[in-house]
Amino acid sequence: MDRRTFVKGSAAVVGATTLPQRVYAQAAAPDKLRVGYAIALSGPFAPGAQSTSWSQYKLWQKTVNDAGGIMLKKYNKKVPIELIDYDDKSQPDELVRLVERLILNDKVDLVLGPWGTHMNLAVAPVVNKHEYPVIFTTAAAAGLYDLAPKWPYAFWSLVQPNEATAPLAEIVADLKKDGKVKGRVATIFSQLQLGVELHTAFLAACKKHNLEVTYSKGYPAGVSDLQPLLREAMATDPDGFFAFSYPPDTFMVTEQAKIVGFSPSIWYTAIGTPFPGFKGKFGDNVNGVLLYGGVDAGAPGIKEYYAAHKAMFNRDSEAGAVGVYGCLQVVQQAIESVGEIDRKKIRDAMASNSFKTVWGDIKFKDQRNENPWAVGQWQNGEVVGIYPKGKSGARPFVFPKPKWTA
Amino acid sequence: MILLEVFLNGLILGGMYALIALGLNLQYGVARMLNLSYGEFFMAGAFGAYFAITVYKINPMLSMFLSVPGAFALNWVVYRYLLVPLMRRASNQDILDADVVLVTFGLLFVFQGLALVNWGGEYRAYTHLAVPVKFLGADLPLNRLMAFLAACVLACGLFFFMRSTRAGAAMRAIAIDPIAAGLVGVNVVQLSAVAFAIGGAMVVVSGALVSTFISFDASIGVVYTLKALIVVIMGGVGRMMGALGAGLLLGVFESVGGYLVDPGLTLAINYGLFVLVLLIRPTGLFSRG
Repeated sequence: MDRRTFVKGSAAVVGATTLPQRVYAQAAAPDKLRVGYAIALSGPFAPGAQSTSWSQYKLWQKTVNDAGGIMLKKYNKKVPIELIDYDDKSQPDELVRLVERLILNDKVDLVLGPWGTHMNLAVAPVVNKHEYPVIFTTAAAAGLYDLAPKWPYAFWSLVQPNEATAPLAEIVADLKKDGKVKGRVATIFSQLQLGVELHTAFLAACKKHNLEVTYSKGYPAGVSDLQPLLREAMATDPDGFFAFSYPPDTFMVTEQAKIVGFSPSIWYTAIGTPFPGFKGKFGDNVNGVLLYGGVDAGAPGIKEYYAAHKAMFNRDSEAGAVGVYGCLQVVQQAIESVGEIDRKKIRDAMASNSFKTVWGDIKFKDQRNENPWAVGQWQNGEVVGIYPKGKSGARPFVFPKPKWTA
Repeated sequence: MILLEVFLNGLILGGMYALIALGLNLQYGVARMLNLSYGEFFMAGAFGAYFAITVYKINPMLSMFLSVPGAFALNWVVYRYLLVPLMRRASNQDILDADVVLVTFGLLFVFQGLALVNWGGEYRAYTHLAVPVKFLGADLPLNRLMAFLAACVLACGLFFFMRSTRAGAAMRAIAIDPIAAGLVGVNVVQLSAVAFAIGGAMVVVSGALVSTFISFDASIGVVYTLKALIVVIMGGVGRMMGALGAGLLLGVFESVGGYLVDPGLTLAINYGLFVLVLLIRPTGLFSRG
């Protein structure tokens, strides 16, 4: 017997004695929950993806694992989460390729969503085909009213354009009824997908409530100066100003409105408004500003969540990130109610159970979040949810917004 | 009345475009290196100003005392130790151009990655000089006005430097024909390195100034590299007053066109103008050629 055959032979013996045990152990209980995702860690979506989604995935993993892991009651065992992450480079084709790789090659137990509406939409049919239940936490599109019921494994947690804007028209209409405003609204919108869709839905809602739209103009993404639009909107003397904006324009329109002294009593800006940087830049001027989405400032566990977020990243969380984290808690609660890693059962639990999270109560209907936060407002230096009105934790709307101060 | 304000704001916006482009004009026009990591220094300048005001509670412009020499040194090192070896290796200008684009494209990701790792990806913004200045009845934001004035001062300063100093004349010679410049005794590598480094220092200045009125994040750089490139090509590569003129023209067209036609068309107007210039005067509006 030469050395090579000896090595081979002993390897075979070792393999033969250990292999069946490993197979047996796996069948008994998984030693970890392998969760994969591809998200923008580079490219134009990286800032949004990192602050809203990726950071929450990491925080969720840490929080769950620090508590021993996810309870699988079938085996009466807690298993830790292992994250497998890929960079989709902000490209939909790369994203789809990587998610298929996660499912087919890496054989992960679960998949988490990417960041951004069209990225989510690109990958939803893929996870649906492979029957991986995923909650998409950063997608809003009018098309989802039709698409969501067709993809049983894709869940959508954000407020969609109609529900996000109907309360805005309602706010103005109610104030008009009370004789507090004349019911004149001015609106500008980013010509990116969500900006256009929010704006379209808002105009329809205004029409329904008989509000007078005094100004309505779009601007391209990457706009450098919004002062001309503000001047024109200001000249029409509206009671409310609604900007369906993205983060860079949200910051710009607020600063330029302060400069030209345009300060109507109702003021709304969309994406980016709840960011810590927004308050960092505008200080007390944020109070009274309305925004897209919202949080329940008194939700169970939110104080601990905020503290853990601050400790891990040395910065504050924001409404969008709270929503993502809340949906991760949904995933966890769905798995724990099923008690094993059976994606069909987990999907059914997501679809039918109701969940208590840091983002408030979450329940899905036709895979869409039944009652998500639609409109929030900065009040006393923090973001609170104000619509839908009946939602648990909703605060009353504060009117009027104070004038901008220097 | 609004039209006058729109026009003046357009001029100021154009000043910002020119300001961003001046450094690239030196790097691309004089040192002949198309530096795709240019915008990353813009981003660094913006972060420097941001940290000065938010962390150290000092005037954000003071950050330039650190960031300008830092960017000068780093750009000098990049030129001297990354780009010069490429120059020595390349057999002709086309190969060199391709190599430089690839290397600086890689640098872009290195710098951006470092920023993402160290500073995180979220949006940053702060308030500085966000007050209106009355001029001919129009409200002009002081922070944007500062960027405009800086653009004018720097463009004129560079123009006179290139016109009336010995080093400037040598740089112009390099810009026109580096081989001939070498033959008449100009130290091409050394002066190009200086021009490249000054370009890097200037973009840090623009980053600090522009960050007073825009929000930014670690991956913003590439956007500004593209903006700068358009201005440089429109104005004529290596022409300082050309960059200023092209920047102002773009700003005014964008503002006035957006106001008179539709604000949604502002970018279309800008790129339309750019294409038009390329068709009519491919070497740039203010070039001699």
